[in-house]
Amino acid sequence: MSLTSIGGDLLGTIPLGDIVLYLNPLHLFLFVTIIIFTILIAISRTETQVEAMFGSLEENKVSVGMKEFKHRRFLAIICGLATAGAMITGDLFNFTLFMALIGIVNIGIVSAVKQIDVLDSAYQYGLIAMMCGLPLFGGAAIILASTGTLSLFTLAAAPTVAPMTIFGALMMLVGIAGESGIAPFFATKAEMFRTPGSPFILIIHLSSLFIIVRSVEILLIIIHVI
Amino acid sequence: MKIAKIWNKLAKPKNIPRLFAAILACVLIIGFVIPTALDGDQLYPRPEPQSQMDAGLSIAPYDRGGEILKEPGTTIAEYPENSKYIGWINSYMSPIADTARSISPYFGTTIYSSPGGLIDEILYYTRGFDTILESSILMMAFIIASWLMLNFTMDRRNEKETIQNDVKRAIKSSDRIANEVEESNRKARAKQRKRES
Repeated sequence: MSLTSIGGDLLGTIPLGDIVLYLNPLHLFLFVTIIIFTILIAISRTETQVEAMFGSLEENKVSVGMKEFKHRRFLAIICGLATAGAMITGDLFNFTLFMALIGIVNIGIVSAVKQIDVLDSAYQYGLIAMMCGLPLFGGAAIILASTGTLSLFTLAAAPTVAPMTIFGALMMLVGIAGESGIAPFFATKAEMFRTPGSPFILIIHLSSLFIIVRSVEILLIIIHVI
Repeated sequence: MKIAKIWNKLAKPKNIPRLFAAILACVLIIGFVIPTALDGDQLYPRPEPQSQMDAGLSIAPYDRGGEILKEPGTTIAEYPENSKYIGWINSYMSPIADTARSISPYFGTTIYSSPGGLIDEILYYTRGFDTILESSILMMAFIIASWLMLNFTMDRRNEKETIQNDVKRAIKSSDRIANEVEESNRKARAKQRKRES
């Protein structure tokens, strides 16, 4: 049971008190990729959707205003940074906090849209994100209670896994599934994208993809599968 | 039920929070039958409830030992090598808080909650990064809410065109709902007629 069995050899740690971020080849790859995407998003402009009109030769352009553009860009950058942080964190509670940050920023990115359908589904996603607070933080708390630690290094080195720890991991899985919108909870997040302003909307999708990859690793470390 | 129908139901955002709540409830019910196995060697221990009150400590229930600037209090860290000054923050109190403690045994909780009184070492030292993240989540929520407030709620009165469009859209959607209701009524009536005949 070692950290190195999934992500590769340990390259180094970033100690911040009890919260120790650590890097191995997998994390480094994910971290660098998301940072590159965030930079690309930060310097890009939004797309303009062109809709052909029926019965005439005119066209309808759906674009994003300057104010909305700035608001979205800011939140998209924060979302990218939060995802990058979640990629290298070595502390369970820290990871759930990064996830909560991603959730609220995702709602914020689409909050400025003027399409009722998109806002409706963002509202539904907000309900899920709110509910996710319970399984995410509750799961982390149960794991802390049953193992006495939150650090992934110590969790990976623990000799046995109690049933309560596995239950904590299961609760975290439910929280992660809801927050990142994987099946069967995909509908709310998928409907949220249906709006102009492509690069910023994409970070919603990208962040949940990366979070899924990282959370699978973390859950496997906790329940000692590999 | 056919699987196609289930997929169609899952594609409606309105159904998703309900589904999620149901699944979450099922998982939480499993929690009742899981045997609780608490680890005795906790990283963030708490004294027994009421034990500090019974001992008559003046800043109960938040006394963590130590003496101001002389002796560190008790804090356990996962990585003590990363926190050199562990315990010193817990034992520190500002002069005002110290005076309040010395004159009366009843200000324990107030000293804790006032800034510059007792500082929680776990919150601000060993796990300080978590606190930064927590407050940034709050800040993002405020940024989103205030941006919406400034750009929609206030400017909306002047945007006559948007309001007109919204009214039109609302009328259209209410028409659509009325049509749907009528349609379902008609279907129900047809069904009943079939049953009766």
